[in-house]
Amino acid sequence: MNTSIIKLVQHSLGVSGVLGQCSPALASQLHTSAPLCRVVSGKYRITKKRDKPLTYEMANPPHYIAHRKSWNSWNTSNLKDGLRRSETALEDEFIRRFMTGTWHGLVCSEIIVKRQFNHIRVAGIIRRAVSPTKMYFLLGYTEELLSNWLQCPVTLELQTVDSFKDVVFKYI
Amino acid sequence: MYSNVVVPRHWTRLSCLCRSLTSLEGQKVPQTAKSSDGISPPPRIRRGPTDILQALAATVGTDPTAAHYKYHDDPYLIPLSNFRKRAYALSAEAGRKAAAWIRDEHADLFTTREWDPPNKAKTPYFNADPHIKAFEPKPIYNDESKVTEADLQYAIKNALIEDSTKVFQLLGGVEGVNDELKLQFLQLLCFYNEKEPDSMEWLEERWFAANTRDRQATTWRVGGLAEKIFQSLEPKTSEAYCAIIQGMAKYYQAERAHMLASEAIEKGLQLSTSVYNSLLACVGFLREGTQMRIEALKSTLAQMNEQGISPNSETLSACLKSISAWGGGKALQQVALQVVAEFRKLGIEPGLAAYYYLLCVFCKERGPRYDLLSTMINDLEKKQSLVATEPADTNFFITAMGVCSDHLQNMDLAERLHNLLMKDDNYKLVGDAYKESIFYRHYVTVTCRLAPFEKTVEILDTLIPNVYVPEPSVMEEIIKTLEVGGAGDRLAQAWSQLVVFGHARRARLVERLLDAMCNTYQGQDEEIKAKMRSAATDILNFGIMSEEQEETKELRTPGQKLSASALCNIVDMCSDAKDKADPGWQTVNAALQKLGREEAAGVPAKPQVLADVAQKAVAIGQPAIAAAAVTYLAECGFEEAMSASVQVLSTMLNRPESEVEALLGQQHSSLTGALHPSAMAIAEAYSIAKTGAPVQRESSSSSSDSDSESSDDE
Repeated sequence: MNTSIIKLVQHSLGVSGVLGQCSPALASQLHTSAPLCRVVSGKYRITKKRDKPLTYEMANPPHYIAHRKSWNSWNTSNLKDGLRRSETALEDEFIRRFMTGTWHGLVCSEIIVKRQFNHIRVAGIIRRAVSPTKMYFLLGYTEELLSNWLQCPVTLELQTVDSFKDVVFKYI
Repeated sequence: MYSNVVVPRHWTRLSCLCRSLTSLEGQKVPQTAKSSDGISPPPRIRRGPTDILQALAATVGTDPTAAHYKYHDDPYLIPLSNFRKRAYALSAEAGRKAAAWIRDEHADLFTTREWDPPNKAKTPYFNADPHIKAFEPKPIYNDESKVTEADLQYAIKNALIEDSTKVFQLLGGVEGVNDELKLQFLQLLCFYNEKEPDSMEWLEERWFAANTRDRQATTWRVGGLAEKIFQSLEPKTSEAYCAIIQGMAKYYQAERAHMLASEAIEKGLQLSTSVYNSLLACVGFLREGTQMRIEALKSTLAQMNEQGISPNSETLSACLKSISAWGGGKALQQVALQVVAEFRKLGIEPGLAAYYYLLCVFCKERGPRYDLLSTMINDLEKKQSLVATEPADTNFFITAMGVCSDHLQNMDLAERLHNLLMKDDNYKLVGDAYKESIFYRHYVTVTCRLAPFEKTVEILDTLIPNVYVPEPSVMEEIIKTLEVGGAGDRLAQAWSQLVVFGHARRARLVERLLDAMCNTYQGQDEEIKAKMRSAATDILNFGIMSEEQEETKELRTPGQKLSASALCNIVDMCSDAKDKADPGWQTVNAALQKLGREEAAGVPAKPQVLADVAQKAVAIGQPAIAAAAVTYLAECGFEEAMSASVQVLSTMLNRPESEVEALLGQQHSSLTGALHPSAMAIAEAYSIAKTGAPVQRESSSSSSDSDSESSDDE
């Protein structure tokens, strides 16, 4: 908090104008959007019939992160002096969309993206709707294409369940 | 740390320390040198980037209960049969190939380099670390691209045959490139025979296509680009000769390779050892007949000596490779031993590849036994570590295990060989997945045949199913071993293994299993007996189910049906029930119906079993089953039918046997209506058995019909 105020002061003084341009670390200190959506973001509306299925991850609102549930993206970009902040966020979103699109109608959970060193591990829960052979094809395809796109080793860590019902935590 | 202590006081000490530190960096500190304060740090050991990882990896052994790491760790995705193992591995690779195809097809989209700083700004750090060459966007060459010699150098360095050929043409062919680069290009072309090599990436596919890959035929591209480049080189240096000769020899253009070699010698050019190695490997293509070939081999070696070129271990394996390719026989074995002895004199010990070729020469399927292997293993056990130097090195272990199981039939050696393979990092020498499974096939076979029972079971438990899935022939060996060991519960388990491994439709194997179960059935605990009965029931149901499937799907290759003896075995085991309501009787009934409908091949080997079952069934109150069994016996024309029917009927009617016989001797028609339908069926069977009437008789067909339904309608 203190540092960001200093940065803001510096900015207003015009000292860090040049600094802010060349270093993304300084430019991303100010956040404005999260408090506005505090009430609705990451939460699900209750339906009339109370028949909307929620997974465990969906059932717990964001303030339970690190208490009852865990993060969906694991990386060190957002720590102090972290590298590639925007790139990391964008790539994670790309991985999520790529996974849900490639494993079409099979993904039953959030896609978890874990980064260690230059290694990306992608975890998720998959429905057993296609044969294991096809799953292996998709596995190989996803790993290879993502590692070529992101230019680092990508590993898929999938678990399979019989049906989507197995991951439903409650209905609202 | 030291400096903190020392600095404030003695400048002399500090300078001394500085000196020692600098020399530490350069690794020049002798062990004896002691600094004045008595502390002597050990010299620094330079570590590679992966040394720590390797040290960590060395602390973790392999886990035989886990699937191979190329398979995904999820119960749904772990393969349990050989077919599935191969299918899954190939599927994953097909997926990777599809991705690679997309990358190549849309190469214009894969042009960013992630590690470049954002907007290519000159920042002090790279955007991502480390740079991975394999993921770098590859340059694309077409007819319009402007290329320089640097491009050719890049393509040659990365062994891109097609790209380098394209660039070479764009540069203006043989005229446009300088000699040094031409030589490098020539070496590349000769090594790969102008063909894009199977990428190292597609391991599984190589494994799958391995059978077609390794054949000895002249595949050298005559008059190709390599020869053109060689022609254009002027003056022809010895490197150029070495390259083209090795290329030709590698792809079995033996005549010309040897001609070029003698040409080079005439010109007074120095040839290398590896040139002679490749010449020796294809020397057999020059001559016909063993004697001529041996002479050619010897003369080439003599020539090598004249040129003053010293041989190495690859020379030895090249010689032995040639010899092993010429077949067997005393003469060749003699020569092989001579060669090995000669090289020993020079201080060259045979490596794994040489051992492999020696085994090929000596240990033929038919022929006298040679115990070369024990000395080899003695020798290899003494070595610190085994290093793969040639592709043929990976053949040693499977061949040696094959020799253990077929040629020498020696469990001790097999065990030692297996331990040798498991030692340290030696497992990489087992070769690909195909070779691995052959290795274990031999190992399990020899274990089943020769090892004590407990030992066998232990080995089977560790290896199956994750490391190795037994093929049908090995499964038969295993069943035999279990039968001899009298392990009833394991035999019952073996059935579920058969299902999982995909062997359940192999009638011969299932029959073998039923036989073994039947033979070991007596003398087991009640609990195990129950397990075996349920396994037998399961076998029958599986057979019925798969037949139904075949009918609906009309498969092209119908599965074989269980034989009558196998069904009899099922009947035998399942009839061991004390209770009328026991589900075993249903199985017995189903099996007898199958027999009665003549859906089983052959006739039972042990008809007495059926007679006993009939007796037991009637005693327990299942007359329909008894009638079915006796009728079947009579129809097949077994002698047991008469006595069985009399006995069964006497139990059924609760009369002495003599009275029953008299009753049966009466007119057939007078009995009708007087007896219970089952008893009537037995009487019918008796008359069939007595008159020896053929099965095609009218009444028999009706009686067999009645068996299949129930015995009521007679």
